Amino acid sequence: MNHSPLIRRKAWSPYFAGIIIGSLQIPVFIYMKSSLGTSSSFGAVACFFNSLWSSSSQSQTCLPTFKPLLQIGIVVGIFLGAYISSTLSNTRRSSISPVWPILLNSQSVFKRFMLAFLGGFFLLFGARIANGCTSGNGISGLALLSIGSYVVITSMFVSGMIVSFFYKKI
Amino acid sequence: MNNIIEILFVGLLIGGIFGFALEKARVFEPGMIIGQLQLRNFIMLKVFLTAVATGLVIFSVFQFLGFERLNWKIAVYKADIVGGLVLGIGVALAGACPGTLFAQLGAGYKDALGTLVGAFLGAITFFKLQAYLQVNLLTGYPNEKLTLDMLVGLPHWVVASIIFFLILMILFLLESYRKWTDDLGKNYDGLK
Repeated sequence: MNHSPLIRRKAWSPYFAGIIIGSLQIPVFIYMKSSLGTSSSFGAVACFFNSLWSSSSQSQTCLPTFKPLLQIGIVVGIFLGAYISSTLSNTRRSSISPVWPILLNSQSVFKRFMLAFLGGFFLLFGARIANGCTSGNGISGLALLSIGSYVVITSMFVSGMIVSFFYKKI
Repeated sequence: MNNIIEILFVGLLIGGIFGFALEKARVFEPGMIIGQLQLRNFIMLKVFLTAVATGLVIFSVFQFLGFERLNWKIAVYKADIVGGLVLGIGVALAGACPGTLFAQLGAGYKDALGTLVGAFLGAITFFKLQAYLQVNLLTGYPNEKLTLDMLVGLPHWVVASIIFFLILMILFLLESYRKWTDDLGKNYDGLK
């Protein structure tokens, strides 16, 4: 596609990127006897914040294992990794994705923010019920052959497709 | 305390590679994620299935080497269906998953801040309702760490191989149907 070094390219093959992401199971397994995930980080932080304003001190039980702590590191790492990658390849983003005004048929950034907020709520409320998100149940659970994860990911795609049906087509 | 800092640091390194790859794959773009749900862009499925296939090989090798098998997921069908459906609504509205929202923030999308705040509130709401949900939603049939190989009664490596080749076949068909380079868009955001 172009001859710039790999880390400066604007896009990698989804297969190459997928192999790299999947390979992260190796360090997570070796270091934590666990599999790749992100949404447990929110559980631990929610528990911690809750213990700040509720009288009964539960902060001790917010980290029954160190898995959520690793995931807190991982999500901050994702932020930094995407920042570095987009800086190196000059694909920095600003404001909102240009697909939103088309999908929503509206230029309102406020409307998009409200929808993002609502979406975020559903994301984590659902992920906590299902005990994992696209990473934990998807990338890891499917590879571990867990039946529950196959149910979660199928349900996720079904409802996601139904809701996306209401957006304007691009 | 040392231990905590070490764990966070290891997580930061793993996440750093994760975020780098998510950005390079363009799969964090709302245009790609909604595009996948609208079945007009297939980069998300390609990245996702490749990562699953890689994991299948890795976990099979680990088992072959004699490591204990990871199996943390307790199947509770009603919780898995309800949780999955709610999660999917969130993905469609946010144009992100709990992991990719951090890549969106890192790449500079401002609306991902809204997603992040909503996500915290979602997690806190779950935490507050957990005692109630535990009784009414989170426990139930089959309440077991069921796996596909247990269900069909074949060895792990056989079922893992079948899923692996099934994924390879789907990826092959997807790629012959639509080349990944055709899905990037002019500005690499899934918008043609």
